[in-house]
Amino acid sequence: MKFEWFVASRYLRSRRKQSFISIISIISIGGVALGVATVILVIAVLDGVEHGLKDRFLSNEAHVVLSLIDYGFFRDYQKRIKRIEALDDVVAASPAILTQTGVFRERTDAIQDVIVIKGIDPAQEDKVTGFSTYVDGSTDFLNSELIEKARLIRDETITGGIILGGRLAARLGIIKGDVLRLLIKIAEGPVHGALLPDLANFVVIGFYESEMEYYDNKLGLIHIDSAQKLYGVKERANSIFVRLTDAELAPRIATRIEDVAGFTVLEGMPHARTWMEAQAQLFWALRLEKIATIVIEALIIIVASFNIASTLIMTVMEKTKDVGTLRTLGSSRGNIMRIFMIQGSIIGMIGTILGTALGLSFCWLLSSNTARPAYWYAFVLAVPILLQIFIATQRVLPNKGGWKLAAWILLLVGVGFALYCLVRPISFVDLGLSQIYQMHQMPIKVNWLFVIFINALSLVICWFATLYPAWQAANLKPVEALQHE
Amino acid sequence: MLNTTEALIRIVDLHKSYYDGEAELPVLQGVDLEVNMSELLAVIGASGVGKSTLLHIIGTLDRPTAGRVLYDEQDIFTWHDTELARFRNKEIGFVFQFHHLLPEFTALENVAMGALITTPNDKAVYEEAASLLEYVGLSERFSHYPSQLSGGERQRVAIARALINKPKVVLADEPTGNLDRRSSEAVLELLWDLNSKSGQTFVIVTHNQELAQKVDRVVQLVDGKIS
Ligand SMILES: Nc1ncnc2c1ncn2[C@@H]1O[C@H](COP(=O)(O)OP(=O)(O)OP(=O)(O)O)[C@@H](O)[C@H]1O
Ligand SMILES: [Mg+2]
Repeated sequence: MKFEWFVASRYLRSRRKQSFISIISIISIGGVALGVATVILVIAVLDGVEHGLKDRFLSNEAHVVLSLIDYGFFRDYQKRIKRIEALDDVVAASPAILTQTGVFRERTDAIQDVIVIKGIDPAQEDKVTGFSTYVDGSTDFLNSELIEKARLIRDETITGGIILGGRLAARLGIIKGDVLRLLIKIAEGPVHGALLPDLANFVVIGFYESEMEYYDNKLGLIHIDSAQKLYGVKERANSIFVRLTDAELAPRIATRIEDVAGFTVLEGMPHARTWMEAQAQLFWALRLEKIATIVIEALIIIVASFNIASTLIMTVMEKTKDVGTLRTLGSSRGNIMRIFMIQGSIIGMIGTILGTALGLSFCWLLSSNTARPAYWYAFVLAVPILLQIFIATQRVLPNKGGWKLAAWILLLVGVGFALYCLVRPISFVDLGLSQIYQMHQMPIKVNWLFVIFINALSLVICWFATLYPAWQAANLKPVEALQHE
Repeated sequence: MLNTTEALIRIVDLHKSYYDGEAELPVLQGVDLEVNMSELLAVIGASGVGKSTLLHIIGTLDRPTAGRVLYDEQDIFTWHDTELARFRNKEIGFVFQFHHLLPEFTALENVAMGALITTPNDKAVYEEAASLLEYVGLSERFSHYPSQLSGGERQRVAIARALINKPKVVLADEPTGNLDRRSSEAVLELLWDLNSKSGQTFVIVTHNQELAQKVDRVVQLVDGKIS
């Protein structure tokens, strides 16, 4: 191999009257680099989003939620929790009453919004979801100062305190200390036949600010005792929230939780829902996005490798005489083949290394900067990719009218796409992610294993591109090659 | 010079035709020739008669249409391509009318090339290459590229290159065909000196009268046969 390296590296370095080949090698290197850089960056962003989402989601939500399949209330929840907590890998469990209800503003009788009410035991709940870290205000649902104050100055009965999602509160125009009226049930009023809403008054004691759309926009937290009183379900709950030592264990432990909860047939069928089930769609969408990215970038690298192939084909043509000479000196076909394979692989290697460096520095730039990449990102990507495809098609395709036309059409379609990207860049808004996850910064997470994988993939693709030209060189007839002008 | 009568190369009923589609162009039509150890043999003949073709086949660069070439009684064309390349590398040195030096490599590297293919030890190879360049009178030209050398100098580098693996046989195809009188003489001096000192076998295709008179034996190729 030493001999082949010696010759191949000299051919790569030489500058004599082959500036055209050099330009093409630079384009090949650039193409490979671009593909590698893009895939590293995009995957890092998608990984970052996924990781951030998981993080946020898991710190707001339990790993497993146990309920009956008809969401009915059940007794003895503290006993069941004891048994669940005795399981391996379970950190804590807490009871909750989950319902939906309408909210009324003070002194109005129209439903203003429908929200999710979660009745919790604050101390137990904190062990499961750690909700208190996201609360701006008090978590004392029963005796907070604000409640005392409201009880003093108002003539209505105050049931307790409520913590409202921050965005929900903003939408309703509510500040701390205000009274929020929840619809409990529709009851018959004093006048026969007329229906009146049965309302309960809660004092807003804090805001829930998790930066997860679902919670901030929809959730109201109250004390489980208040919830039980409101719905007349003393000592009952309808869900048990469970935290595990490791979120990834959820699918395995879910069925065990169902078993130890000890529901009888009469009580109903239990179902333990994992966080993955709850968010399956979202994570599935992210995974698809990742696969699509890898496929597209692999295609870009393949296109770039066509350039490597055409560079090599031209080098072989230019070096035909040298190949003849080397054969007279006793180089075997294998020697010749390896010389050109090494030459192409070096181009691929330089491109891959540059691309990795470029991709990682983009990652670093984006993670240290709050700028969104939208417009210039699409532009920076689109233009070189197009050039790349165009040059590759020009070199590789036969020099015939039909093919030329196809290349031009490809270029036009590409330019159109680039313009479209400029006007309307592919962004997280389109992915629907910004609805769920309010981003203040590009989430970036570099997966080193993936970086290694994509490097290997790129090298293999480039290596394959060298096979045909190298094989061609190896099969030159020595005498004819020698006499080649 | 003891074994000059022993045949090193035996060519038996060698045929070579070129094909242009269906049309056959017979070039060699039954060449029989023996080349003895340490012999300095000149092959002459009219232009286009097939001298270069014969030399290429002797040098394993091309395969014959029919017939055999035996080195030490071994029929080399029964061998695989890789073995032939190896054999060519070790046992045969070529000098052509045109120098065929590799333009990207210095004189020293060009001379060393044939040995670098198989030898991992560069240092010894470059020392050998340097002494060969000194021998052909180019001790000042080690790091010059072919484009920086005169025609005669290039041809002398090419001769040094042919000798790097101490081949048994040196095949030269009009080695002075492209040189002026003075350069030609220098190259010829070299060849004679080499032949007398090293005992290597030389097969030289030439039109040069002076050369043809000074060799051990001259054979003429006429109508595809040795006459
Ligand atoms: N690759 C080839 N394809 C077809 N014909 C060829 C090929 N190589 C050589 N020939 C033909 O074979 C014949 C012999 O060629 P060759 O080069 O061996 O002649 P030569 O004796 O060396 O001539 P010169 O003294 O001019 O060098 C010529 O007629 C030539 O046209
Ligand atoms: Mg000739």
